[in-house]
Amino acid sequence: MKLGHSQPLEYSTHQNDLNIFGFWIFLGAEIMLFATLFTSYFTLENRVGSGPSGAEIFEITPVLIETILLLTSSFTIGLAVHAMRIGKVKAMMSFFVITLVLGLAFLGVEIYEFVHYVHVGAGLQTSAFTAMLLTTLGTHGIHVTFGLFWGVMILLQVRKRGLTAETAGKSFIFSLYWHFLDVVWIFIFSFIYLKGMM
Amino acid sequence: MRELFPAKQVMGFVFSMLLTAVALGVYFFDLSFAVGMTILLVTAFVQALLQLIVFMHAGETKDKWAIYANVYFMIFIGIITVLGTLFLLIWDMA
Amino acid sequence: MEFFERFAIPHPSPAIYAAMVAIGLTVIGIVAGLTYFKKWGYLWREWLTTVDHKRIGIMYLISALIMLFRGGVDAVMLRAQLATPEAKLLDAQHYNEIFTTHGVIMIMFMAMPFIIGFMNYVVPLQIGARDVAFPRLNAISFWLFFMGAMLFNISFVIGGSPDAGWTSYFPLAGNDFSTSVGTNYYMIALQISGLGTLMTGVNMITTILKMRAPGMTLMKMPMFTWSTLIANLIIVTVFPVLTVALAMGTMDRLFGTHFFASTNGGMDMLWANLFWVWGHPEVYILILPAFGIYSEIISTFAGRNLYGYKSMVGSMVIISVLSCLVWAHHFFTMGQGAAANSFFSITTMMIAVPTGVKIFNWLFTLWKGKIRMTVPMLYSIGFIPLFTIGGVTGVMLAMSAADYQYHNTMFLVAHFHNTIIPGVVFAMLAALTYYWPKMFGFMLNERIGKWTFWALSIGFVLAFFPMYLSGLDGQARRMYTYSESTGFGPLNMISFIGAGIMAIGFVLIVYNIYHSIRYASRDISSDPWDARTLEWATHTPVPEYNFAHTPSVNSSEPFWDDKKKKHKLFPGEIEKIHMPNKSGLPFIMSSIFFVWGFSFVFAMWTLLIISTIGIFICMAYRSFEKDPGYYIPVEKIKETEEKLGGAKL
Repeated sequence: MKLGHSQPLEYSTHQNDLNIFGFWIFLGAEIMLFATLFTSYFTLENRVGSGPSGAEIFEITPVLIETILLLTSSFTIGLAVHAMRIGKVKAMMSFFVITLVLGLAFLGVEIYEFVHYVHVGAGLQTSAFTAMLLTTLGTHGIHVTFGLFWGVMILLQVRKRGLTAETAGKSFIFSLYWHFLDVVWIFIFSFIYLKGMM
Repeated sequence: MRELFPAKQVMGFVFSMLLTAVALGVYFFDLSFAVGMTILLVTAFVQALLQLIVFMHAGETKDKWAIYANVYFMIFIGIITVLGTLFLLIWDMA
Repeated sequence: MEFFERFAIPHPSPAIYAAMVAIGLTVIGIVAGLTYFKKWGYLWREWLTTVDHKRIGIMYLISALIMLFRGGVDAVMLRAQLATPEAKLLDAQHYNEIFTTHGVIMIMFMAMPFIIGFMNYVVPLQIGARDVAFPRLNAISFWLFFMGAMLFNISFVIGGSPDAGWTSYFPLAGNDFSTSVGTNYYMIALQISGLGTLMTGVNMITTILKMRAPGMTLMKMPMFTWSTLIANLIIVTVFPVLTVALAMGTMDRLFGTHFFASTNGGMDMLWANLFWVWGHPEVYILILPAFGIYSEIISTFAGRNLYGYKSMVGSMVIISVLSCLVWAHHFFTMGQGAAANSFFSITTMMIAVPTGVKIFNWLFTLWKGKIRMTVPMLYSIGFIPLFTIGGVTGVMLAMSAADYQYHNTMFLVAHFHNTIIPGVVFAMLAALTYYWPKMFGFMLNERIGKWTFWALSIGFVLAFFPMYLSGLDGQARRMYTYSESTGFGPLNMISFIGAGIMAIGFVLIVYNIYHSIRYASRDISSDPWDARTLEWATHTPVPEYNFAHTPSVNSSEPFWDDKKKKHKLFPGEIEKIHMPNKSGLPFIMSSIFFVWGFSFVFAMWTLLIISTIGIFICMAYRSFEKDPGYYIPVEKIKETEEKLGGAKL
């Protein structure tokens, strides 16, 4: 399991190769999951019943902060994978930690956002639009939350066992997951918030 | 220190911030719905492709054809689902 | 005491009480039997903790046969109720519950596990691999399916069955009109087993694309493997849609949201739309592997390779894309305009073309072949005309303007049974007969098998063809009775007789299995059908590592070439083989999922939270687990190979 091979460490075993490929297929399924959420969102977007519309409740500032936090965390996890490939374990773990902290900050802002919505009368049970908005944002948020727990577990394994084929493979797959969540956020940012505030 | 910040990643990050700023234009400027949607679609899909190719290393192994085929197929069916649903339930509803 | 009232059946009947007693006795019987024969250890070691694709495949098949029984009993009850006008056998409520459970069980818990069982058993052998890409995940897939099926099945005796149809449309499926927990069972049990199926999709695609034997390019794969690849691609594409729809439905019923409700902006038609975005591709998930089975069986028993390999592959690819473009044909009459209906009408009619290409290719394969009329071949030949009739009625239904006449009549019911029974069920029974000797080491009885085929075919025609006529006459579906003056009586009576004959067919299947276990010779070749593909190049029983040497492939029929053209299938030396460890975690985690599902159905929030934490603990345990597997040493392999009849070929 030496570094400096022609292939990055995470591909060095057959099982890792299979795991990474399988995870790409899973991400394909996740594309359809979020596509379905977006489908339902666009269908129910204007069905506000007696509740507020998007334009009435969206605020650009928290949305911008969330976007910058997530985009940066996507950058830092990329740096973590790069550090892993050149064998710098300490740098990799540092970038990993920063990624998770940024993710946690993102969740914090999102929770604030949800509390605010409920406050202004846009709760889960208010209307079809609010239900779909909170479900779409919430599904993304649950994925981020799950990612935080998963990331901590991987970090603990890297700390305890060092950089092996297994830990490198898991870290790489986690980075794929994290990048994917950022891509989904870009679509949420563009087609839920910005479109709603045009 | 320089070796920890490879050029591709940094450029990619800067470019994605740029695309986000351009998308923000639809909020700050008074544009028509069509122009606004076009800007959003272009920036979102370009940023997605950027993430896919530069950050997620989709094209770096011999599996790349299967990976691209899978992702594009899902995006295609995803778009069909969105457009087909809107067509059925809203645009062509009596 | 009040706490337990929620588990009561809202509409009990003698049949339900009898079922409670039967279930209780069966469970006691199984527990007593296992204890008396001291088989708990065996059960745990060999079946509950297995990650072997062959064992998992067999468990899927056993589950499918049991569910075929329950779904079939449902069907006979429905037909009995409709056999005469204004019968009093089942009231409307029970009738609704029975057609709902009949549909869900037959599609989700009979047909799906049947095909997934064969995908599991056969595909790794057909591509020359030792197992699937993710054996542990495979075990989780099975146990999640199993727990989902068990959860759905107990609705009958605890809390009440769902009664809004297998399609569970809103607003009927909402709290206003479906007040019992039945629809909760529907939403949650399907969610759990759907997760398992999605994982199978990821597993099979990775296995087929990354683990084929050297020399097996994509265009040299056997047709069943191709059909499995494409069906699993459809699975990973559309099961997430079902996940979202079921989650939204659950939230509407349990969390007071208004996705599909009639108030506060909800749109009930969105449910139907999302359901069918999943639902239509689902039926292609069922039929494509069936087509793959037919390709294998027809080419084996016609003694020649499949006609038109490339167009077979191409047609399946086209079908998979088109299948995602037709879903609105399930609700042409729901209010959308002519433009939308026309689009979906055209795409639906287009699907007939690649399907027709396949039928012609099978006919051309038969044309100059030396045909052997074995039981699997009988099913395949019966399939061709019967399925074609079903397909043609599908084209009739595809014309949206005409569909206003046919929609939700018995004509529709006849069409989809006409495609599923000769299409999927016959293929499964053919595959069961075909692969039985490889799985268990003895053949099923040929004579009883032929009686079964004729009973099922004649029974099927008698049961369903009258429905075409009564549907055109105006008999609606999902109606628990009809009046004498409609004149539907005689046709429905014929259907009931047909259903009875099909029931006899099912009894014959069970009898065949019993008879063969008792009397069939165990001294059979490992290639009893003189077949053509790699799964037959194994010993019987197949050793846990499948192949001692990795096979080397030169064509789409490597085993045939080895037998007839002296292609060397197993070059090279035996090396030690790496195998995955067994694990109890898939079974344990899935059992917790059962508790999770049950507590969700009954809105028992504390138990729900506890079981959710339990599931995550299982996942965390797996993350930290070190699982290097183990090696089978060369001596052990050589020993096993000797015992099973010498080095193959």
